[in-house]
Amino acid sequence: MDIYLPIAEVSVNAPVLIALGAAVGFISGLFGIGGGFLMTPVLIFLGIPPVVAVASEANHVAASSTSGVISYTRRKAVDFRMGGVLAAGGAVGSFIGVEIFRWLRLLGQADLVVSLSYLIFLGVIGALMFSESLSSILRRRRGEAPKRRKDRRPPWLYGLPFKMRFPRSRLYISVIPPIALGVFVGILSAIMGVGGGFVLVPAMVYILRMPAGVVVGTSLFQIIITTSLTSVLQAGRNQTVDVVLATLLLIGGVLGAQVGARASSRFRAEELRALLALIVLAVGLRMGLGLFFTPAEPFVLMAGNG
Amino acid sequence: MAILVPPEIPPAAVSAALTTTNVRVTSSFRGARIVLYGAVFDPAERPSDVVVIVRGPDAPLRLARKTKVAGIWVNSRPVVFEGAPGFYMAASTKPLGEIASFGTLRRLGAGVDHLAINAPLEERIETRYGVRDVVVSRLGQDYLDWRRAVVRLKEESGLYAADDRGVSFVDKGLFRAEIDLPTAAPIGVYTAEIFLFQNGQPVSRRMRGLTVEKAGIERALYLFAHNRPWSYGLASVAIALAAGWAASVAFRRN
Repeated sequence: MDIYLPIAEVSVNAPVLIALGAAVGFISGLFGIGGGFLMTPVLIFLGIPPVVAVASEANHVAASSTSGVISYTRRKAVDFRMGGVLAAGGAVGSFIGVEIFRWLRLLGQADLVVSLSYLIFLGVIGALMFSESLSSILRRRRGEAPKRRKDRRPPWLYGLPFKMRFPRSRLYISVIPPIALGVFVGILSAIMGVGGGFVLVPAMVYILRMPAGVVVGTSLFQIIITTSLTSVLQAGRNQTVDVVLATLLLIGGVLGAQVGARASSRFRAEELRALLALIVLAVGLRMGLGLFFTPAEPFVLMAGNG
Repeated sequence: MAILVPPEIPPAAVSAALTTTNVRVTSSFRGARIVLYGAVFDPAERPSDVVVIVRGPDAPLRLARKTKVAGIWVNSRPVVFEGAPGFYMAASTKPLGEIASFGTLRRLGAGVDHLAINAPLEERIETRYGVRDVVVSRLGQDYLDWRRAVVRLKEESGLYAADDRGVSFVDKGLFRAEIDLPTAAPIGVYTAEIFLFQNGQPVSRRMRGLTVEKAGIERALYLFAHNRPWSYGLASVAIALAAGWAASVAFRRN
């Protein structure tokens, strides 16, 4: 059954989109990520204009993250104060990101920056995550004790002013690093059409040193706020949110996220991380390697008004 | 007055109609096929050729060329082209080059090679070979490559088409042509021009209008998104958050 999308102005197969939404939602629930980094490339591949894909995907990520965050709230696994501080930075980042994206579109360089961002961020994070999880899997196979996490936090986190208490994360740190992190993720969210969980989760673990139990829930909470804002800004500034597309995706997405969240307890954390790392790497390479091959068609047509 | 007109042969005339004059783009829209019927009235039955030109609303477009910079392929600065219709179709009874001369086709804008697509921002006026006010394109020698790329890419997406057998005579003096609108056909007012050519000259011309418009829920959503973009954004976020919440509640019960 084909359906015509009013903003994207293309006709798509509705059951295929719902199934895709469910598959990405499942992965999202399984790993506690938004899933935008998977869905946006798939939408572009299906022929949806990249600007519409990026903007509508933010809406879909907001839906599947909401679906996930409620169950984390029940388990008291969300640090709302830390999430709020991250989101404050995220809000600033979305504003900057949406304006950067507008400017890049006018220059005709949006595709390049999207591809490069995928290659760099997904490539680096995928590689780091893969090597880390592989080494802990190998250590467990050899019967060695898991490496003790160093509790010593980097001194620069404590040297900065504007300290704040985060009781649920058992932290007393400056608000500057979380705000800076939020700004960065907000910009990525607008440019790449992602929630930014794949950056946020490792950063919360390795830089902010938050307890593992609250990381995923807090990341989802901040993602909801940032992607909701990005969605509204994209709709308001660029008129590129396709509500029909977003709704088709989120029908499958919210259901898949619930199933995925249940399935996640059956796997070991490091195996899940290794699998996620491979997916992240594959998507990054798929999006970025095209930049190195000689294109079959040397010209690219774009809409006239940017 | 009538006495002054030579009585022997009345001029030939063409007449045509479209099966549909209003294409409604709804959620089930997957493109449309419109049939154009027409008749040639010529008592003298001179050899006639029919050319049908359908143009959609003009839409400026930008074209960039991929160039290799430091090992990666990046887009060059985009060039704005004006005068390009959002949809263009030329159908004729035989190849346009056999129907009329280059100059005639150029004057009528008949055929994708004769579309008045140009890049005004890339032009500058110079004195060349002692001649003042010569219009020179900054695209230089490559200008034709760029122009051809516009047509090629539009043809690939089904928005431009040239069919030199697209008009066929189904009966004596009666002809038909098909207009295929792809899903990506732009919204707006289209014109279909029907030319009757005899002896290399256009002797009769008819114009028919066609409207492509969004209808039903598609139209409502499109207008909502463009007229009240902020409320639209808030509404779409509200749907997303409500759906996420509903799914989580529904699954908790199980």
